[in-house]
Amino acid sequence: MSTATVERNSVGLGPAFHRVLNSEFIKFRTLMSTLILLASTALVMVGFAALTAWGTGAEKASADPETAAALAAQGASLTVGIPTSGIAFAQLILGSLGVLLMSSEFTTGMARSTFAAAPKRMVPFLAKLIVVMVSAFLLTVISSYLAGLVALPILGNYDLKLDLSSSQSVKLLIVNSIYVAVVAAIGMSLGTIVRNSAGGIMSLVGLFFVAPLAFQLIPGSFFKEANKYLPTSTIGPLTAVEHVPNTLEAWQAALVLGAWVVVPVALALALLQKRDI
Amino acid sequence: MIEAKGLTKAYGEKTAVGGVSFTVQAGRVTGFLGPNGAGKSTTMRMIMGLDAPTAGSVTVNGEPFAQHKAPLREIGALLDAKAVHTSRTAYNHLLAMAATHSIPKSRVREVIEMTGLGDVAKKKVKGFSLGMGQRLGIAAALLGDPQTIILDEPVNGLDPEGVLWVRNLVKHLASEGRTVFLSSHLMSEMALTADHLIVIGRGRIIADAPIADIISGNGETRTSVRTDQPGRLMQLLAGSGVSVEFHERDLLKVSGLDPRGIARTALDNKVLVHELTPHRASLEEAYMELTKDEVEYHSRVTTGASVPAQAGRK
Repeated sequence: MSTATVERNSVGLGPAFHRVLNSEFIKFRTLMSTLILLASTALVMVGFAALTAWGTGAEKASADPETAAALAAQGASLTVGIPTSGIAFAQLILGSLGVLLMSSEFTTGMARSTFAAAPKRMVPFLAKLIVVMVSAFLLTVISSYLAGLVALPILGNYDLKLDLSSSQSVKLLIVNSIYVAVVAAIGMSLGTIVRNSAGGIMSLVGLFFVAPLAFQLIPGSFFKEANKYLPTSTIGPLTAVEHVPNTLEAWQAALVLGAWVVVPVALALALLQKRDI
Repeated sequence: MIEAKGLTKAYGEKTAVGGVSFTVQAGRVTGFLGPNGAGKSTTMRMIMGLDAPTAGSVTVNGEPFAQHKAPLREIGALLDAKAVHTSRTAYNHLLAMAATHSIPKSRVREVIEMTGLGDVAKKKVKGFSLGMGQRLGIAAALLGDPQTIILDEPVNGLDPEGVLWVRNLVKHLASEGRTVFLSSHLMSEMALTADHLIVIGRGRIIADAPIADIISGNGETRTSVRTDQPGRLMQLLAGSGVSVEFHERDLLKVSGLDPRGIARTALDNKVLVHELTPHRASLEEAYMELTKDEVEYHSRVTTGASVPAQAGRK
């Protein structure tokens, strides 16, 4: 038993933001499932880039001289997307991770411990959001770069060039990584709103995989227009070398992507404050 | 000290806690006793700021829980042994909790030793027995060395040695001047552990008194009387403060009057009495008596001699 000081001397340190952030980081890194999801994201990104590099090279090798020349003429733009070619998988895995990190708080009952230790609910929520977004961003940066490094020798085999330090390479790397961080934030917000892992992941899949397809298929101009404002549609304008007609301007796309963080997060936070744990 | 004033929690039509007011004092173990579904856990979650009251308020050490600068250092709670991510190890769970208040690792190890979790601290909580889960919850509650400790059903799932350990622990904590608030639906456990008892049934406080008073007070002495003229004796005895139940052909149960008084009345009126047995209620009986109208889920026991309902319950 500790030497109990029963008359409280001055109250000790409390749940200031940086301490809760540290706590959330401990929670993040001490779950095996989290680490497995992170590792599998990296693996998928690297593997997919390798496959894409191989496929691109093989296409060039087997093409008739004319097509091969045309492909070669594309130069860097042919290969620049290879490091981030697995981004669709990364967004699904890391978005689901975002859902799980919050929904598991509620499904396991951990939330009672979390919000008893830091009763101002915004603090653990934002701390977790930072952990989720930063880790999603960093993981995508690192995996994409690794993917590029793995793709280089494969491309080299087919006399194709890839400059990982070109401005377009860096742009793709950064934009895609920010995008994945946004998806993770949306996932965490969905996890907070539905408090259920399966429901959260299904909503995420609906938003990122079903909606873009459905919006294309539904007749009428409204959904074609709305499609431009889905988070998935912002990557194109943000990474385009020059503006593609019938898409958003880069600055508009940036605003839309920003809104896709702010609105779900604000909604999740409002519900978190209002509801019982 | 915990102070609840008119604390109410309603879920739509259903009222889980209906305007309860009570004070939990420091320096003694206060038991929170009630049948399942009586509102104990809801009340405790409201104390911890996890559920918002529909009406009323509750403060801990003078302030609402959420207003405290360092909540874990003020109040430690075991609300549910499952308030932990089961894929994490016990040590990492406590470490993450401790980090929010910069509580050192040495204290984490200390509470692990204190609760006897040393051997399993590095194992995932998933594989824990109910008893080990309870110990982990208690370890988390003690982490911040808090002045006030709230334990919801702490002995659930503990083996006899564990039950004894909890009993001694809470008594020790109270003896250090801490506020200890402990819920249970087991009156026998409360009789051994608590100094003061708050009894709740269907969201209302039924009793709030020192445990000795609950045993002697509500368990007022009842006397079984057998007589040849139960109807006549019933009339004679009935009066202010005396309630008489008619049981069998010749059996009355009298409360509010001692055996001597009953005998005197019978003698004065020349009524023959051939049995006069005083019953002193145990805490268990007192509790049953207190909550008999308040339990939400009745189990019906059919016996031959059904007891006519008696309205004059105190």
